[in-house]
Amino acid sequence: MQSRNRIAYAFLAPYLLIFTAFWLWPIIDSFLLSFQNTRVNPWTFSPGLNWGRLSRDPAFYNALKNTLLILVVQVPVMITLATIMAVLLNSPLLKARGLFRFAFFAPVVVGEVAYAAVFRLMFNLNFGIINKLLNTVGIPSVSWFAEKPPAMALLIIAVTWRWAGYNAIIILAGLQSIPNDVYEAATLDRVSKIRQFFFITLPLLRPIILFCMVLSIIGSMQLFTEPFLITDRGGPGGGTETLGLFLYRQGFVSLNFGYASAIAYTIAALAVLISLLNLWLGREPK
Amino acid sequence: MAELSLKNVVKRFGNFEIIRDASLEVSDGEFVVFVGPSGCGKSTLLRMIAGLEDITGGEIWIGGAVVNDVEPADRGIAMVFQSYALYPHMTVEQNLGFGLRMTGNPKADTERRIRRAAEILQITELLDRRPRQLSGGQRQRVAIGRAIVREPRVFLFDEPLSNLDAELRVQMRVEISRLHKELGTTMIYVTHDQTEAMTLADKIVVLRGGNIEQIGAPLDLYDDPANQFVAGFVGSPKMNFMAARIIGKTPDSVTVSLVNQDAVQLTLPVRDVPAIGEMVTLGVRPEHFAEAGQGDADLAVKVDVAEHLGNTSYIYANVADGEQLVIEREESRNEINRDKFVVAIKSSRAYLFDGAGKRLK
Ligand SMILES: Nc1ncnc2c1ncn2[C@@H]1O[C@H](COP(=O)(O)OP(=O)(O)O)[C@@H](O)[C@H]1O
Ligand SMILES: [Mg+2]
Repeated sequence: MQSRNRIAYAFLAPYLLIFTAFWLWPIIDSFLLSFQNTRVNPWTFSPGLNWGRLSRDPAFYNALKNTLLILVVQVPVMITLATIMAVLLNSPLLKARGLFRFAFFAPVVVGEVAYAAVFRLMFNLNFGIINKLLNTVGIPSVSWFAEKPPAMALLIIAVTWRWAGYNAIIILAGLQSIPNDVYEAATLDRVSKIRQFFFITLPLLRPIILFCMVLSIIGSMQLFTEPFLITDRGGPGGGTETLGLFLYRQGFVSLNFGYASAIAYTIAALAVLISLLNLWLGREPK
Repeated sequence: MAELSLKNVVKRFGNFEIIRDASLEVSDGEFVVFVGPSGCGKSTLLRMIAGLEDITGGEIWIGGAVVNDVEPADRGIAMVFQSYALYPHMTVEQNLGFGLRMTGNPKADTERRIRRAAEILQITELLDRRPRQLSGGQRQRVAIGRAIVREPRVFLFDEPLSNLDAELRVQMRVEISRLHKELGTTMIYVTHDQTEAMTLADKIVVLRGGNIEQIGAPLDLYDDPANQFVAGFVGSPKMNFMAARIIGKTPDSVTVSLVNQDAVQLTLPVRDVPAIGEMVTLGVRPEHFAEAGQGDADLAVKVDVAEHLGNTSYIYANVADGEQLVIEREESRNEINRDKFVVAIKSSRAYLFDGAGKRLK
């Protein structure tokens, strides 16, 4: 047994080494970094510096506010949409189901840069198709990139487009795990289809929907690609700067690694906190 | 409460005819059992009555009205599913009351019905539990309770006991029987188990491959099966079948020779028979063999295996290269531990079937 265990660890060693060097160590090191002043050479230990700055930095609060706003609007909208899409995908009336399933999932596979470029074109002030469509129904053109509210809306639309289908596929799997005879029993119990959805389907999907929400919360907290590429680095004027973007600027533009580490830990802690809050709010009633 | 009838009911899935021309009368308060091997269309027929499957042809009547186009909810039926189909996220109490609450039944009445159903089924102390906290038997009771609460005109059961262990199955069988006496409601019950059918039914409907083979009271099916399939399906252990050739006939009797059983000859009081030389099948139930010399033909058999159950014994026996026979004996155990012995066939307790399986009388 002893030697068998040793052999097992020998086989695991390469993985454990890489895991320690590239996963565990950066996590520990960045935690230590957050207590160091990295703007002097050599770096010095200065426990209050970064955390103190973070607690006062208006740029941080701006990014936090933007991120939470996106999260609070985008996650519920997207999950609702995803649930509706999943129900439609699950409908026996639907033809060419496989095609739709692929189409809904496709945005996840599309390259981020390509999708961002297409969104920038579609929402262009003068020749974008979105404004043209708005004009045809009598709404004047919106300058999506020049003002904060439309820019935020644009981000929310883009993120929702990209991830709604992905969540719909997960929810679809949940829908398919509900046995059909439960619905038949409800039909014989004279319960209408709509009520069946609200009183049977939704409660039974609860764990799946909570799972999707937690994934989406984590994703929103780290939101980076869309504000970087679509609204051009959090424009207009920091109006769409998210925590992810703020972290990037501190770490990779200002090269202030200590401060960036503190931000990274704050993002992770907030994601955990909000996810727990969400799980607690959505817990099964006793 | 209501009577129910099927008139030339047909069900097709695409090109497959699953139910062929089924006709049946069920009177008010009757307990009818659909029995047949797996895949013969029992569930389909039951689901058509419930309205969960649409009807390809024919008519279904409940309480004096055609219900072909009536919504399942409005047919006044309640169904107990094989898988129980309880609402997993609701307590037992909520499971029972869900339908009534959703349709705005008065609160006091809903609670009265739940209490009554819980008392009938002795599940009062389970009302706060969820289905996953219940045993199979308890879930089954809740499923039945949910049907009772609806106070339906007709109860439909689809193999309600098939997921329970043997002991519980017997116990629930007795309870369902008691329930029927207590409520007096028309019940239609599907099973593949002939014992359940025999013990529960006022009337049995034997199905095979989408055809109704015979309809009758349990003992009528046992005593007077219409064909070889019913004869084999009803009764346990099943009836023995032996190949036979017709070697002689008079206006009211026929003589056959058991070709695989040492050409033993037997004369039966049967009128309507094929020509001499034709092959037929002789059927004898295990419990109908007589002592040697006390029947109309003796059969010497070699004992293969003997099963002693205490109250009775089953002997699996055969003759040289004949069909294996099952013989039931209640007498002393030693006597049948011999290698060979002789039993007799009584012509009054033997059945004859033609090549197509039709009973010859
Ligand atoms: N929805 C369906 N589509 C096609 N064939 C079906 C469907 N439901 C049942 N069948 C077929 O109908 C036959 C009878 O099924 P069922 O009524 O469930 O049998 P039983 O309950 O007697 O075991 C089976 O051969 C089954 O494959
Ligand atoms: Mg079935």
